[in-house]
Amino acid sequence: MPGGYHGRALVVDVATGGAERLELPEQVLRDYLGGVGLATWLMHRLAPPGVDSLAPQAPLAFVFSPLVGTPLTTSAKFAVVAKSPLTGMLNDALASSHFAIAGKLTGHDAIVVHGAAGEPSVLVVDADGTRIEPAGELWGLPAADAEARLRERLGPAWRIAAIGPAGERLVRYATISHDGRHAGRGGLGAVLGAKRIKALAVRASSGRPPLADPAAVQAAARDLRGRSFGPATEKYRELGTLANLLAFNELSTLPTRNFTAATFEGATGLAAENLAELRLRARDSCASCSIGCEHIYDVKGGGSVRVEYENVFALGPLCGVSDPDGVLAASARCDELGLDTISTGGTIAWAMECAERGLIDAPWLRFGDGDALLRAIGEVGSRSGLGDLLAEGSRRAAERVGQGSASFAPHVKGLELPGYEPRTLQAMALGLAVNARGADHNRSGAYEADFSDELDRLAGGEAHVHAAIATEDRAAVMDSLILCKFLRRAFAEPFPEWAALLRAVTGWDVSAAELERTARRIVLAKRLFNLRAGWTRADDWLPQRFLSEPLEVASGRAAALNPERLSAMIASYYEARGLDPDGVPRAGPLHELGLA
Amino acid sequence: MDGTAGIVLAGGRSSRMGSPKAALEWHGSTLLRRVTGIVGRAVGGPLIVVRAPGQELPPLAAGVEVVDDAREGRGPLQGLAAGLATLEGRAAAAYVSSTDVPLVHPAFVRAVAAALNGDGDVALPMVHGYPQPLAAAYRVTLRPLVDELVNADRLRPAFLFERCRVRRLDEAALLVDRRLAAADPELLSVVNVNEPADLEAARALPAPAVTVERFGALRRLPGPARATVQAATLGAAAAMAGLELGEHVVAAINGDRIARDPELPLAAGDRVALLAADAGG
Repeated sequence: MPGGYHGRALVVDVATGGAERLELPEQVLRDYLGGVGLATWLMHRLAPPGVDSLAPQAPLAFVFSPLVGTPLTTSAKFAVVAKSPLTGMLNDALASSHFAIAGKLTGHDAIVVHGAAGEPSVLVVDADGTRIEPAGELWGLPAADAEARLRERLGPAWRIAAIGPAGERLVRYATISHDGRHAGRGGLGAVLGAKRIKALAVRASSGRPPLADPAAVQAAARDLRGRSFGPATEKYRELGTLANLLAFNELSTLPTRNFTAATFEGATGLAAENLAELRLRARDSCASCSIGCEHIYDVKGGGSVRVEYENVFALGPLCGVSDPDGVLAASARCDELGLDTISTGGTIAWAMECAERGLIDAPWLRFGDGDALLRAIGEVGSRSGLGDLLAEGSRRAAERVGQGSASFAPHVKGLELPGYEPRTLQAMALGLAVNARGADHNRSGAYEADFSDELDRLAGGEAHVHAAIATEDRAAVMDSLILCKFLRRAFAEPFPEWAALLRAVTGWDVSAAELERTARRIVLAKRLFNLRAGWTRADDWLPQRFLSEPLEVASGRAAALNPERLSAMIASYYEARGLDPDGVPRAGPLHELGLA
Repeated sequence: MDGTAGIVLAGGRSSRMGSPKAALEWHGSTLLRRVTGIVGRAVGGPLIVVRAPGQELPPLAAGVEVVDDAREGRGPLQGLAAGLATLEGRAAAAYVSSTDVPLVHPAFVRAVAAALNGDGDVALPMVHGYPQPLAAAYRVTLRPLVDELVNADRLRPAFLFERCRVRRLDEAALLVDRRLAAADPELLSVVNVNEPADLEAARALPAPAVTVERFGALRRLPGPARATVQAATLGAAAAMAGLELGEHVVAAINGDRIARDPELPLAAGDRVALLAADAGG
């Protein structure tokens, strides 16, 4: 077995408590690495075609990586993967810290859950075995509280990934969290909730898989740690991702009031540059991380919340809320319920627009009203009142409300858009449209090109296509190794440097070129899964609003997308990716990448 | 092919100035670098410099195309013909500028180019009592007519204007554009420097007043986050804010494209945002 791997996955049927070992052939590990890549292979292998995402037969996998447990900075990460209740397609979400290390040191490269327990339960796994324990007293608790109670019951060596009340109630954008960090996107918490599994508890109890070249790994770790203190990560250390907000406002890329504008009059009050002085309580970092990006702010009235650009954007400007106390309280409430803040904010912003247009009967729900936002979040978490509709996400809610509301439902493939305005970031517009996960800023980082001087971000064309593909490929490898993307600018030559890390850990003679093929393989494998799940060409598209309502940036230049421009970029993307005009992989690339 | 291009005519003889105008310095830039930069900021299409055959030019920004006049010393229609010839199939219209206008403002270029959106082949400013054919916008489809006039030795722009649809823009019409009215109310964009005294007068003017603001972690540097400074280039503005553009620091002018070229010219009223290069994520 290569260094860094156990070579097996644990597959648990939580209906019976039965567990099996699935051997992971070395070639599979080399072809898919770990994390998101290996998870994609597992989903192909284990998910029955056509299975409903909330059905007992639908598998959900916690997947580790070859770098977990090494001293390489930011490597303590894990992927959670399943078919998404929002999109009906492949969904992967990453989270971090001690759960990754303890999970891998159960002696498995992945833990896959399928079936459904007869009562609320906890799945407990270590190297000594697997068991299902009742968890009735935990049902209804916030994930953090359930995690604390479980560690009291099982012992401090145990690490927990848990769902909150939203996951139990099958809110389609519920999260799974560990130590306050969420595998946030795509509703994986609902998948676990449908299995009546409140939490997965793991304990480090096996030996670490050996490293092929421990000295080289140590040297690389020292080097990378040094680089992680440099200017490439300064933003994350100093202010965290919330530093984006004021800059995005300046660049007209800050989605506001359900994407009806791209600048927000209340941006200054929500900006990290100002808010940190008033609210910052502490900084923190994941296990094995030397960047320390986490900024924890006080919440008025007590408590604290991890602040990121995405939760402030989604619960602030997107809902028109400028009161920082209201936004922080809303974010804390989402954490308590176990809700993805992006989909929560996106769905509620859509509902606010519907209410203001008179399309739904909710006169209390208005843009800018922080109290109404809090009420809506609570109703989503409990599926009460309007919340039962909104818990379905903006796509399904718009299908029910009708009256043209689908044209401004802010989603791709059912996943709500992150805080990147597609009309003023047109490489990102393509990335959002074609990505397997839906509207997503972590699997496509095409905004990097938009925020560079390499291209004109208002004039989408060929350069934008190549940028979108390049960032998608880089993400596929980083999410499979797994390394935190906040480290990405610390790599001058990413693929050669990642290949060197992988050589030192595994002993494989892997090259940069091989890793580039691996990236393409993972991207296409995700697309193949989606094809099997019913994807059609129409799913690679943006909501009508972005194609018919131009914006203007501060210079006076128009920022407009239209169907012709988006179609041209998608066609070019398909061609470059080895897809036919309908977006289906051609035989040649499938053979070349071993996917045929 | 729906964008507006830019053509900067650099091939004049500069006989009254006594030295090539393209290379004259104004607040740290050559006139050619400045004018191409300002026009380039205002148009979305290709940017063409037309020079005399074999003429040596000062350095230009990446992406600027250089073409030669077919013959030297035949005046602006010859240069216009050469420029339009390169744009067929690539742009619908072009803003055409001489190289000797240090005060040209992007808002002026945009206003003139926008005036060509309706009917008409030429948008011709009538400013300070004169038509301004070298601060005007032309449809690319005029190329055959321009060639015909050049071949017939009818080299004055007025001969072209007799044969096509000209939308004349007086000062009032131009200043309807609120951005132009705010940025260049006296329409100094058309003031050219023909003689050494003109150049001295232009140099006596201060560099453009611009607002510079640092964002994110860049605010940790000493000094106010936002300040008004006088700077003719992006690099000068960044330096006044205590920063150097490069791998980790970029800029956006008026919330538009991201830039890190220190030579990029600034104009009065510009707002320069200095940003960490890793926006997003």
